Amino acid sequence: MEIFIAQLISGLSLGSIYVLLVTGFNLMLLVAKIIQFAYPQIVVISMYTCWWALKITSNKLLIIIAGITVSVALSLLSEPIFRKISSIKDVDINATFIASMGIAMIMMDVMSHSFNYGFPVAFPPKWIGGNILSFGLITISKGQLFALVGGVIAVSVFFYLLYRTNQGRFFRAIAENRLAAELVGIPITKTSIFSYFIVGILGGFSAILFSMLIGSASPWLGEFVALKMLAVSIVAGLGNLHGGLVCGLLLGIIEAIAVGYISGSWSNVIAFVIMLAVILIKPEGLFGTKI
Amino acid sequence: MSEVLYYFLGFSAIYILMGWALYLPYRVGQLNYLIVACMAITAYFGGFAAREWNWPFPVILIIGIMISTIIGLIFSQAIGKAPCFTVVIVGLTSVFIVKTVIENWKLLGGTVGFFHIPNVNGMLIIIYGLLILVGFLIYRIDHSRWGRAASVVFVDKDVAVSLGVDIKKIGMFFQIVSCAIAGMAGTLDAFLVRSLSPEFFTFGMIGYLMCILFVGGYTTMWGVIFSAFFLQGIPLMFPSSIASWRQVIYGALLVLIILLRPEGIITRKMLWRMKPKAYFPVNTQIKNSKS
Amino acid sequence: MKNKLMRFSGIFTIIICFLLISSINIFGQEVQVSEWNIPFLNSITGPIASIGEYMSWSAYRAADEINAAGGVRGKPIKIEVIDTGVSKDKAMEEMAKLVDSALVVMGPVPEACIMAAVPIAVKAGLFSLVSSTSYEYAVEYFPWTLSWYPITEEKLPPITAAWAKLHPDMKTVVQFVENWAAWPPMAEAHAVGLESAGVKMLSQVDVPTDAIMFGPLVLKALAQKPDGIVLTCNSEKAAKIIIELVNKGWKDMAKILVFSSADDTALYTTGGDSIEGISIYNYIDLNLDDPRWQAFREAYKKDHDGIEPASLSTNYYDSVYMISEAIENTGITGDPAKLAEERVKIRDYCRNVKGFKGVQLTWDMTDGVPAGKGTFLFEIENGEKVFRAMAK
Repeated sequence: MEIFIAQLISGLSLGSIYVLLVTGFNLMLLVAKIIQFAYPQIVVISMYTCWWALKITSNKLLIIIAGITVSVALSLLSEPIFRKISSIKDVDINATFIASMGIAMIMMDVMSHSFNYGFPVAFPPKWIGGNILSFGLITISKGQLFALVGGVIAVSVFFYLLYRTNQGRFFRAIAENRLAAELVGIPITKTSIFSYFIVGILGGFSAILFSMLIGSASPWLGEFVALKMLAVSIVAGLGNLHGGLVCGLLLGIIEAIAVGYISGSWSNVIAFVIMLAVILIKPEGLFGTKI
Repeated sequence: MSEVLYYFLGFSAIYILMGWALYLPYRVGQLNYLIVACMAITAYFGGFAAREWNWPFPVILIIGIMISTIIGLIFSQAIGKAPCFTVVIVGLTSVFIVKTVIENWKLLGGTVGFFHIPNVNGMLIIIYGLLILVGFLIYRIDHSRWGRAASVVFVDKDVAVSLGVDIKKIGMFFQIVSCAIAGMAGTLDAFLVRSLSPEFFTFGMIGYLMCILFVGGYTTMWGVIFSAFFLQGIPLMFPSSIASWRQVIYGALLVLIILLRPEGIITRKMLWRMKPKAYFPVNTQIKNSKS
Repeated sequence: MKNKLMRFSGIFTIIICFLLISSINIFGQEVQVSEWNIPFLNSITGPIASIGEYMSWSAYRAADEINAAGGVRGKPIKIEVIDTGVSKDKAMEEMAKLVDSALVVMGPVPEACIMAAVPIAVKAGLFSLVSSTSYEYAVEYFPWTLSWYPITEEKLPPITAAWAKLHPDMKTVVQFVENWAAWPPMAEAHAVGLESAGVKMLSQVDVPTDAIMFGPLVLKALAQKPDGIVLTCNSEKAAKIIIELVNKGWKDMAKILVFSSADDTALYTTGGDSIEGISIYNYIDLNLDDPRWQAFREAYKKDHDGIEPASLSTNYYDSVYMISEAIENTGITGDPAKLAEERVKIRDYCRNVKGFKGVQLTWDMTDGVPAGKGTFLFEIENGEKVFRAMAK
């Protein structure tokens, strides 16, 4: 039982990573109508920024600001590219997926070429923090707690913004019917740019939580999580925020339990087999697509 | 013939086959990454059958195509008319699962790899012979009722349905043909390289195939031919200091093409314009009558 | 008078003939190149770019040292690093470019590239020094490669047995294994050594290549209540597993053994203070009291922000020296007409060199397999590696 609870906690913290990524990804999908496959790479570059900032200063607020600023800047920088693509006649959402794949390739290669000789960067223990709770094998580290609580807060704030504010109504209206939203006077471009800004903040925030939870960043970290982010989002149903939340946490837990209780190398593949089975049975995702 | 030219031509042809395998299902808006899994399966099957059972190459090639066709047939039952990203994730998870199976299968060399696949004389001639054959087949498909129906499905599924097109059937057809071509490419690849490793079939290969399809142009079968030679040749032409940035070059090309020429370098309109003027006698008559 | 004249002309003719013959001989031995170009197929982009970077660095350093000392047969050495990434077709095409002209090749580095490209070199009779890989890969292409390391099944069991002997109370061990290239066979060899020392191997924990969090894996290992841990995975993952083990209350750090390929920069940068006390086996002794090694170490640290050289960092440094020795001692001329013959000379010299003085060790090669190359066992004490045992 002790192992099971400990695995559950590990799975939840892993799941919180997927949730944060899927939420940002889904927002881009709903409001800006883009498949932002390079989103995890933006998060990783933001993690690198925090690492640099940590070398210069120990002021945590400054480090957080640096991480978020870079993430917002990268997110906003990609906006004109995607806006131009979306404005092209006869081009569908697939084009944004392809362009973001190109952006991800560039970001990953630049990181492996030019950042820290291609070595992974590690965050110091004072940044990560130790255990808050320790009961046999059941432990909760500061990073895990922050990721879980921070993740819940971030997603809650985001949901509040989406369902309780005017801006959120704009977002949802655009997601529902872009043309109708434009007809009733919703500023499409402004709202769309704002969504990039929000996703940038969420990305920076995720970077800080990841740095505390994972403790290091490498050029290929983005690629590792990008596939799972896309998989979770599709299994849940593209653009389905609630579905992403549930499936993200579920994937984390399934991965942890599979590793814990299934012997041999095959445990690594269990999560993928389950996802494949779900998609084959329900191609529209477990919770239905929203786009 | 120099060795460089031999491998350049050999790989270009295999990537053209794989590019076409990606191109066909994209005619109905599906990105079928299952082709990479098929390629891995038939490559390993071919290598093993040749080295361990001494099977002749033609038999291996035919059985390889049959295996991948069956895989395509099974999967297409579930994802024949699935949305693009569902097909994407089915492909990605399949690649991951196939890789894990190979890694754990000691008979296939596991993670170490599979060495010394027997040499087949005149490999380049065989590859190009098959390439022409497949090219002819795709040309016929493109200019058949299936090809025209696919063009309608790509633009608007509802219109296609109202015109009596069976979307699932057409999706299934393209997926099966695409898997069969990938199976052929896998066998040829195994006999060209003469070694196999699970590391040959990665996410990087998917990125490269995407580049080939979208840089060259996804609206005709000719774009893939152009970009396979072009992209394979770029790193060979540049000095190694520049060639080491090839991932950045590929990524940048992908983004630029989507922005500036979303249908790729070779488009249908371009081919249309290249056709001799005499091809349009009606227009000429109208023009003459006006003057 | 006539006789004298005839005798003189006879002597003159003999002298002229002698001079002519000797001049032909001298010209035949003369170096025909302005510099010794040594291509190095390396991976300086992609997932192992960091390893590729220091391998290039060490090859350049060796060339600089040799050139500063007058070059090889009076001509400088030029290392031409060619990036293959981890792409098999790039490696094959680049190798194909070299088969007509290169005297010898260093690399490729990633195992997938070795498998794809070395057969081309073998076919063309071009010797490739694949000095970063293990015996399993090199042996497949003998005699056109050599193995930088002794046979895995012979090399590794003694070192894990030596580690077990240092901890007689260690009865059970769990091994973490990442499914990558030759690591699973290395893991098997670790187990053989431990079992020979009376240690029971518990269920292995597989480390996924794309793992980002290690809590579940560590819990799986600890659920078996092992006395010791062996880490056969990459350096970053090894460091994170150790951090997780410490978080879950692991105390006896010396009973964690990290294998050689994980003794890389990321183990130290990611592991930080958490790796204090762990055991590591590898092939270089950082504290070796040798001026040449210490100069290498200092230069490496200077160019890498103070980071210590990794276990694989000396391989291509020594390879460059081995090639230059081969050129020097076998009278290679670089004459394109003698290319095939001189490639064989270099191959035969390197595969059977005796008493080769590497920057760390001196060893003999017998038919492409090294002998007398030891494996060191260290423990981390106050951030420094302290020697514990050596196995040959």
